[in-house]
Amino acid sequence: MSAGEAQPFTFEDLPVRDDRDAAWRLIRERGGIVQLEPDIALTDHALVEAAFRNPAVFSSRQAFDSLGSPLPLVPIAFDPPEHARYRHILQPFFSPRSIRPLEPELRRQLAELIAPLPARRECDFVADVASVFPVQAFLTFFGLPLDMRDQFVAWKDAILALSDPSGAISTDEADLRHAGELFTYLSELVAARRGVPGPDVLSELLCLDGDDALTDAEVIGLCFLFVLAGLDTVTDALGFGMERLARNPDRRQEIVDDPALVPAAVEELLRLDPPAPFVPRITTAATELGGRTLPAGTRVTAYIAACNRDEARYPDPYGIDFHRGDNPHASFGVGVHRCLGSHLARLEMRLVYEEWHRLIPHYDIAPGFAPTVKFPRGTVGLEALPLVLTPGAAR
Amino acid sequence: MRVTIDRDLCVGHGLCYMLAPDVFHDDDEGYGQVTDDGPVAADRVEGARRAAGSCPERAITLITATATATATAD
Ligand code: HEM
Ligand code: SF4
Repeated sequence: MSAGEAQPFTFEDLPVRDDRDAAWRLIRERGGIVQLEPDIALTDHALVEAAFRNPAVFSSRQAFDSLGSPLPLVPIAFDPPEHARYRHILQPFFSPRSIRPLEPELRRQLAELIAPLPARRECDFVADVASVFPVQAFLTFFGLPLDMRDQFVAWKDAILALSDPSGAISTDEADLRHAGELFTYLSELVAARRGVPGPDVLSELLCLDGDDALTDAEVIGLCFLFVLAGLDTVTDALGFGMERLARNPDRRQEIVDDPALVPAAVEELLRLDPPAPFVPRITTAATELGGRTLPAGTRVTAYIAACNRDEARYPDPYGIDFHRGDNPHASFGVGVHRCLGSHLARLEMRLVYEEWHRLIPHYDIAPGFAPTVKFPRGTVGLEALPLVLTPGAAR
Repeated sequence: MRVTIDRDLCVGHGLCYMLAPDVFHDDDEGYGQVTDDGPVAADRVEGARRAAGSCPERAITLITATATATATAD
């Protein structure tokens, strides 16, 4: 702790668990660049931009080692120019044009998930919808059978348990075994699809040749990252979003009345509650940032939820407003590592809010239940969101 | 008013063509493109402004006859 710091303040001290708005307010009040053990925290969009646009100094290479992947995570743990090659290869598969055709099938799956709920009068939104649908969307996108769903959930939970925000790596036997199983499954899948043409992303990636050809290790690292980055993030964003909508019936009524507002609602809910609020880099050399000298090897973490509450950018930054003209939130990251899956994630979230509110416009958080956030963790989300569903005219 | 996208800054968030599809479109990799290099029609200016203000990379520049305004939040 450097002299002059008010008091020791650590990541674990943030009250994210019970009051995340208070946590982000607390850290923002400490300034744009803050010592927050064990990292340097950036809470200001301009500083995040300055750092993240300079990947030669603010590197991703070792920033994700704590995720415990057996192979380098493509492309998140690479810096330019290698990173640019991966993005160039991957980006067409994840562009809005490639994602859009999934819409009818995903909407059908979602209606099937949601339709039986009203008869039950209650549900846990996290367990029944938010943690299930993103896995199905992922399996659909990758051309894997939907009956792998529960197996994937178990594998994913194990890998996430192995990663700890402070960089400690779990040694829990069952988790390690599950991570190993996923690795074996992916290796076999890659071997089976190599060179066999198919309509899904994985088959297409494995059929690339020439300069764009990817090795087995690259494709497996990539798949591992998709499991780490593409499942819980959407689950957590949806849980948070529905909690805000449940607590703000007037805002919810706006999207019930006018579903065309849903895309703006997706962005606004993501602005308030980024599920990946801590995005790390490690300095490769001594550097200056925001008036501080950072030695080489400093872990610098962008606090996205804090950046998204910048009073200068957002009037009433803690309020929900589906009519903000500009909403340049950083929830999908800033700079070259901008979330590769953002267009898939947006589609999933839009479909959930559309279909849910079409079928279940009236709902409340179960009386007496106080949602809590899984924390401390690298990605954050609600443990559960029990809802009571009130019958009422669905559209 | 005209608009440009700085290719060095654009990373394909896609907000521009989502918010103002009559001014921007996507290329094969999902990067933003300005559809028409000429002046932006009056009824599309608001959309172009919103897109510029929402681009997280501030890659969009609005060029007016008198002044140039980068999409900074100031
Ligand atoms: C609401 C949902 C999501 C959020 C908020 C989110 C957020 C992020 C953020 C902040 C980054 C940047 C990390 C960095 O700069 O180091 C990122 C990268 C990434 N995300 Fe997402 N993500 C979401 C969903 C997804 C989905 C559905 C997928 C894929 C199937 C995905 C795949 C990736 C990949 C591959 C990267 C690495 C990109 C690179 O390093 O170039 N994400 N995501
Ligand atoms: S919003 Fe900005 S970064 Fe995104 S595609 Fe448009 S110009 Fe590029």
